[in-house]
Amino acid sequence: MRRALLAFALVALAGCGGAAGGGDTNDHATVFAASSLTEVFPQIDPAATYNFAGSDDLATQITEGAPADVFAAASTKYPHQLYDEGLIDKPEVFATNRLVLIVPKDNPAGIQSVDDLRNPDVKLVIGAEGVPIGDYTRTVLENMGATDVLDQVVSEEDDVKGVVGKVSLGEADAGFVYVTDVKPVEDKVTAIELPAEAQAKVQYEIAVVKDAPHHDAAHQFVEQVLSEDGQAKLQAAGFGPR
Amino acid sequence: MRRPFEVILAVSAGLILAFLLLPILALFLRIPPGDLLSQLTSEVAVDALLVSVKTSLIAHAVVLLLGTPTAYLIATRRFRGRSLVLTLIELPLVLPPAVAGIALFAAFGRAGLLGETLHAAGISIPFTQTAVVFAIIFVSSPFYIRLGIAAFEALDPALIDASRTLGAGPRRTFFRVALPLAAGGLSAASALAFARGLGEFGATIMFAGSLQGVTQTLPLAIYAQLDLDFDIALALGAFLVVVSVAVLLTVKLLPSWTRFTLISLAPSGRSD
Repeated sequence: MRRALLAFALVALAGCGGAAGGGDTNDHATVFAASSLTEVFPQIDPAATYNFAGSDDLATQITEGAPADVFAAASTKYPHQLYDEGLIDKPEVFATNRLVLIVPKDNPAGIQSVDDLRNPDVKLVIGAEGVPIGDYTRTVLENMGATDVLDQVVSEEDDVKGVVGKVSLGEADAGFVYVTDVKPVEDKVTAIELPAEAQAKVQYEIAVVKDAPHHDAAHQFVEQVLSEDGQAKLQAAGFGPR
Repeated sequence: MRRPFEVILAVSAGLILAFLLLPILALFLRIPPGDLLSQLTSEVAVDALLVSVKTSLIAHAVVLLLGTPTAYLIATRRFRGRSLVLTLIELPLVLPPAVAGIALFAAFGRAGLLGETLHAAGISIPFTQTAVVFAIIFVSSPFYIRLGIAAFEALDPALIDASRTLGAGPRRTFFRVALPLAAGGLSAASALAFARGLGEFGATIMFAGSLQGVTQTLPLAIYAQLDLDFDIALALGAFLVVVSVAVLLTVKLLPSWTRFTLISLAPSGRSD
């Protein structure tokens, strides 16, 4: 019995070790990337392992020691913060983006412009403060002198996909997202362009994580994103040039 | 041969106990207790607390009001399809919360099954406190009903029979015999279901969204603050640990209350 127990414990421990080490045997980078990159990054490198979430969440995860190789954020704020803390290499801008207003295809609230969001029946969904899309949304509304539409917010989502989901489901009347988020759901939502002069400066930055478990693969990934091919794929997905 | 076995038992227990308690302890040790308390008075924390208390209490009232008769019915009646009903009630217990969230949308959302009917009646549920209450009821009522059935089933059928043969109708038997006798078990069920509802996260964040002061409950506030202000997230987490400990203590103390109820009831007719 004792032997059986010991054997069981040893096997269990060995199993853990194997699992923990298993991640290091492949040479693919683990990429922590902003939600808005969900569609395009796997096109650039289908072999990498991805963790898509709000850039702020990813920054927290890396700060708490998550085994990331690459950090790609939808803002310059979090990469700079992590760079200052010595957690990542110097970040580089690799793409830009712009915001649009999306409404469900059947547009139940009849929204044609940001002004229509002031209707008290409108259910507006935006990104939470601190999440890049949330901060950019607030900047755009400030630029348009339309911060009063924030009264119509019914939910503050933790990443941009949360906003897209609730609008494409038809449960919310409108939401602010990146133009690049529209394509995957274009049969469910209509995008309304925002005035160019009101746009926030949306810059995406990428960097290799200092303690990257797959250091070489991480550098290769970043090079690939910055390469002509990577840039072409980003622009095909609707991102602006860096 | 016996000693090593004892050692294995003790080491196993020690390891798992350390693993379970270390994270909870760490929650309290990461920042000083004074800071922890002061974070709880921040606007976000207070708003989340109020939303959580309000929605949990309303949901819990509904759960008790509808769940108690349901549990009694299933525990005391034998009917066709009883085991099916039992299984259906247990389903939300094992359902992933995200599934609960999407299912609530599918039923009560604007594009959902009852969407048009509700819209015609001028009712909109998603992103409101009603949605939070719905999510809590969906996950906590099966908990209460399942444990409630067990509490009613644990009653000595002879006592119910005696009440009936002594001339009490089914309603009187329920209120004067079954309910007081099962009070201990029902209270434990109630406490555990309340804790489960207070911790509801997945269904709420999907179906009710997250808006401070409206639908942002304590667990949602922890999630939202994780990257904004880690200290507030920690403080809210520590607070929920304290609440959970209180619930557990209540449940542990209940058997003695049950005994008390039993004794006070024993000389029937005299105590009231």
